Amino acid sequence: MITSPAPSQAAAARQWFLARGDLNSLIDALKESGRRVIGPTIRDGAIVYDEIASAGDLPAGWRDEQSAGHYRLDRRTDERLFGYTVGPTSWKRFVFPPNLTISTAHRSGQFGFDQPNPEPPQLAFLGVRACELAALAIEDRVFLGGQFQDEDFRARRSAAFIVAVQCTTSSGTCFCTSMGTGPEVHGGYDILLTEIDEGFVVQAGSPGGAAIVAALPARRPSHAESGAAVDMVEAVRARIGETLPIPGLAERLKLQLDNPRWAAVAERCVECGNCTMACPTCFCTAVVERSDMDGKLAATDRLWDSCFDSSFARVAGGDFRARPQDRYRQWLTHKFSTWVDQFGTMGCVGCGRCITWCPVHIDVREELMAIAPPVPPVERPVAVEPVAASPGSFSIARVAGVKAETEDTYTVSLSDMDPAFLRGRPGQFVMIALPAFPAVPISISRFRSNGIDLTIRAVGPTSTALTNLHPGSKGGVRGPLGTFWPIEDAYGRHAVVVAGGVGLSPLHGLVDALVANRDRFETVSLFYGTRTPEDRLFQDDLARWAASSAIDVAVTVDRAGPEWKGRVGVVTTLFDKIPWDCSKVTAFVVGPERMMQASVQGLISKGVPPDRIVISMERHMECGIGLCGHCQMAGRFVCKDGPVFRLNDLGEMFNREGI
Amino acid sequence: MATIGSTARPRVAVAKFASCDGCQLTILDLEDQLLEIVSRFDIVEFPEATSRRSPGPYDIVFVEGSISAPEHYDQIKELRKQARILVTIGACASSGGIQALRNWADHDAFRAAVYEHPEWVESLATATPVSDHVKVDAELRGCPIDGSQLLELLTAVLVGRRPQIRDEAVCRECKRKGIVCMVVARGEACMGPVTTSGCDALCPTYGRGCFGCFGPRAGANAASWSRGLQKAGRPPEEVWRLFAGFTAYAEPFRSVVTELGAKKPAPAGPRR
Repeated sequence: MITSPAPSQAAAARQWFLARGDLNSLIDALKESGRRVIGPTIRDGAIVYDEIASAGDLPAGWRDEQSAGHYRLDRRTDERLFGYTVGPTSWKRFVFPPNLTISTAHRSGQFGFDQPNPEPPQLAFLGVRACELAALAIEDRVFLGGQFQDEDFRARRSAAFIVAVQCTTSSGTCFCTSMGTGPEVHGGYDILLTEIDEGFVVQAGSPGGAAIVAALPARRPSHAESGAAVDMVEAVRARIGETLPIPGLAERLKLQLDNPRWAAVAERCVECGNCTMACPTCFCTAVVERSDMDGKLAATDRLWDSCFDSSFARVAGGDFRARPQDRYRQWLTHKFSTWVDQFGTMGCVGCGRCITWCPVHIDVREELMAIAPPVPPVERPVAVEPVAASPGSFSIARVAGVKAETEDTYTVSLSDMDPAFLRGRPGQFVMIALPAFPAVPISISRFRSNGIDLTIRAVGPTSTALTNLHPGSKGGVRGPLGTFWPIEDAYGRHAVVVAGGVGLSPLHGLVDALVANRDRFETVSLFYGTRTPEDRLFQDDLARWAASSAIDVAVTVDRAGPEWKGRVGVVTTLFDKIPWDCSKVTAFVVGPERMMQASVQGLISKGVPPDRIVISMERHMECGIGLCGHCQMAGRFVCKDGPVFRLNDLGEMFNREGI
Repeated sequence: MATIGSTARPRVAVAKFASCDGCQLTILDLEDQLLEIVSRFDIVEFPEATSRRSPGPYDIVFVEGSISAPEHYDQIKELRKQARILVTIGACASSGGIQALRNWADHDAFRAAVYEHPEWVESLATATPVSDHVKVDAELRGCPIDGSQLLELLTAVLVGRRPQIRDEAVCRECKRKGIVCMVVARGEACMGPVTTSGCDALCPTYGRGCFGCFGPRAGANAASWSRGLQKAGRPPEEVWRLFAGFTAYAEPFRSVVTELGAKKPAPAGPRR
């Protein structure tokens, strides 16, 4: 009885109680309605679905213990008839037979093909679980939901009378709770049973079901009996828990087609195809021709096939999925990702059969968690409240040291300053002034435990004065100001830092942070270009990074003397050595504006998404807090809306002269 | 080639090398189809059935047995010359058979143990499949072969199409038949996951694990299955015994047998 809707509230309220000893009355009623009853029964050490004659065939007092590659029956302490979960059989067998003759052909006299008329057996399914109803609904979409439909399936499915059973127990391979398919049954049945201590709470879900229920020796359940039925199913939900985080999984899997885990699981997989055979939704088939010796009669049989077969995707010229890892990936991504594109739901109902019946114990839940783990929610940090945030006020800091980086660039270490500066973030800057020298914006190149570093090129009066300070001198600072590097944009991706000349200064703190959180990124790299070898900043740090396994460092110079053994060329020439899928790159770029334009162009042409390119802009600033108006760039103040921007936040304004 | 409507009966020969004749008996066991077969095929050579001999050429030669004696080298090459289609039947011809276990053992010691006058016995140190020596057009696997597959091959020759012989795990036949997996549900050993189908899961149907007589299917992950069986508590000697059966010499079973037995097979005789 196909697609019976969820019962109305009123119908759901119409419950009956049937004593366990009276279940035969239901089986007899189903048989009297002209149906064979298919239900759970014990065969060869498992509870299978097969024809049953009476309640005596049911697995009274048995439960099943299941884990990956393991299934055992065990005695219960009670005599429940449905005190197990799901076994090796699925109802697919009865609506979508494993062997079916789909056409015959004859050559005697007229040549022709004949299609057998589907005359489905009248079957009643006894003991259909919530996950199995979900599987039947998925098959409905596959076989009946499109332009071309499977008439044999339709006939068998329409003829099937469904007696569902609420799950009052669970096994170690159940994950219906994650897939949203159970354990509670919601509609899709003719009759629903919930087994409690003394018998069954019974509900009808269709007129046909109601007619059968009406004839049973049933009474109204007590309040306690109805309550027990609800409690038992709720307890199952709690016991299973939610082991597999599904939200976003379909999309995450699509990004993991090159994950090395596919090859690792293929090393274990024996490609027996048992997962696909046991799966209640796998629908792939092969057609096989039979003919008699004189070629006069032929028949086409349809068999359950498996995408794990080495010949499944073979054509005359070769095999489209030649490697076992290709085939495993096809199966898993189909179930949990591409099925959604095709049919609007996942192809998995969480019944766990593929886990239990895998002879080499592969657990799809483990594989999915390893291949496409849930991405932890990204917490975007908030900038610390700046100190002395008005143009005329300054906080005092002491100069702890001054170190020459190049001929004209020095790192000034400040200490004994307001702790707010230490809580700034890489990419932010300070306004620094000396008495009688105007304030200038300087990026924070490093956060130390007791202060910050400013790396300053001596080009104007203030910057020259700053680089001439001696330890113990004092200066006035305001900050930390401006936006900072969105390091989270690179989580799970290839983090690429591109620096030109003194542009490495605002990136230094970012590189420190990337290295400190190395596990959160696929790879971390620094591409650094300067005019000459002597123009390289932070040479000690460069050497240390180059020696570290946490980060790859590539340096190039525009020109060099014969003593330079490294690369020569502009920084964009380093992009040619990028070995990764550039759609998974997040790039952080700072340097002279021409260099940034060339770099951005180079990265985009390699496939780096524009929203994953982050740059830091330089503009004239007097105040650093959006009051003086000097740093405007179209609609933005570089000091407070920047200096760090995602490329697509700047849009057309970047790469345009005279803005 | 005889095709539909043709009245010429293809000439068929059945030849035998080192084997037990069980596959030939499987042909004779096709009692319900024998009259149909002889009405459509001219069986001119079949030592198990008749002492009548007839020289080639033949349309189809069915070859039973492995190449195990010096004279076999020339005999198989001559047969190949006479055959339009050469089909190996059974585990011996297709993979070397149970006697290929001697490829890992001391041949002289075996002969001395079995025969009173080993010097009278001329046998090779190795038993090898026919495909090691001549081109084989089709293989019917199994110990013995499956009668239905033989009929399918004969039918396909008559109709003029490729025989539909599937290469999938025995597990697939089990699952389609609704047989409960004895590995998972009872902890028993079974070669089904790595063995090619064609027997209709004969042994599992009778509650016994597959012993791999049809040999490995293409690309079988025998290494993983060997590990899996050992992980399930099977000692390495027992796993060796499972792989070291009727098709031990067929890769990738051969590698597992070599690894678990810690013994390399003897170098085989001249190859084609």
